[in-house]
Amino acid sequence: MGLLQGATELFPVSSLGHAVLIPSLLHWTFKQSDPSFVPFLVLLHLGTAGALLIIYRSQWVDIIKGFFTAAFRGGIETPAERLAMLLMVGTIPAAILGVFFETRIKSLFASPYVAAGFLIVNGVLMLGFEQLRRRAERRAALDSKPRIEQEEGFAEAERISFRAAALVGACQALAFLPGISRSGVTIGGGLMAGLRHQEAARFSFLLATPVILAAGVLEVPQLFASGVPVGEYVASALLAGAAAFVSARFLLRYFRSGRLDPYGVYCIAAGLISLGLLALKL
Amino acid sequence: MKSTPIAVGFGILAVVFLVVAALYAVGILQLFASTSTGPHIKHAILFVVLAVASLIAANFTRPKTV
Repeated sequence: MGLLQGATELFPVSSLGHAVLIPSLLHWTFKQSDPSFVPFLVLLHLGTAGALLIIYRSQWVDIIKGFFTAAFRGGIETPAERLAMLLMVGTIPAAILGVFFETRIKSLFASPYVAAGFLIVNGVLMLGFEQLRRRAERRAALDSKPRIEQEEGFAEAERISFRAAALVGACQALAFLPGISRSGVTIGGGLMAGLRHQEAARFSFLLATPVILAAGVLEVPQLFASGVPVGEYVASALLAGAAAFVSARFLLRYFRSGRLDPYGVYCIAAGLISLGLLALKL
Repeated sequence: MKSTPIAVGFGILAVVFLVVAALYAVGILQLFASTSTGPHIKHAILFVVLAVASLIAANFTRPKTV
């Protein structure tokens, strides 16, 4: 589970959807309605957040410094300060929706059918984001240029508007639905805001870290109180972190010129196959 | 967008958020909570965060004297 979650968390294919689907399809003995299931998933997410903190450690130092400097000064002067404020604005919508709709969302976790259905929706969204991006490339007369030059026609994460950051943050809340990918919808949101693919991925990964850490801090105590094998769960979290580290490195290289399309096709195929297998009770 | 009324508005909003956070923390407020009794720490923390964000917004919109 740790390797599966870590590998799928940062790819735009919904780790949560896979964490609900795979145990059901492989008849693993996880009870998704068990009170320790969500805290366990959060512990795995903490492994992922740890990997992201390691990858972006120097940027996080600048962001945290920038946050306090800008907050006390009451103004933004550097790109790091702007990024810090953008991340704050982007995190608030997900935090509000997460706290207020947590119970209803948790009730959806128990159904692999729901996860498979949303995985298909996620795939359609990924393909839709790329269609809209290709339209933007045609409008900017970039469609006949090589991919690297096309990407250079779009912006870096620090240039995104505050309104767009809030919208990308709200997109992040969709990922509470199992099957909808947090990185997928936030990268897609970043693309809609005019970011390069690689910058949209960077903004998505930076945006994910505070929400995952906050969720971990709030949920993990429930895990320790529920009498589960904590040692095995922590080992799983470490595996998730290692897998996430490798995944993030791969994705940041891939998105220099790569698109979301292959992940969209994968999600639609995986969702349809899962629905078929679940219906046939294989 | 520097304006004293807007900055004061954000300041008042911060105070309101802090009051709501306190009400959730002591278990008086049960609105949109998963259970209908007891304190709701997550809700309280969220409103503290919103209060901090409002204070930052107030500082950003406050006219600065040079």
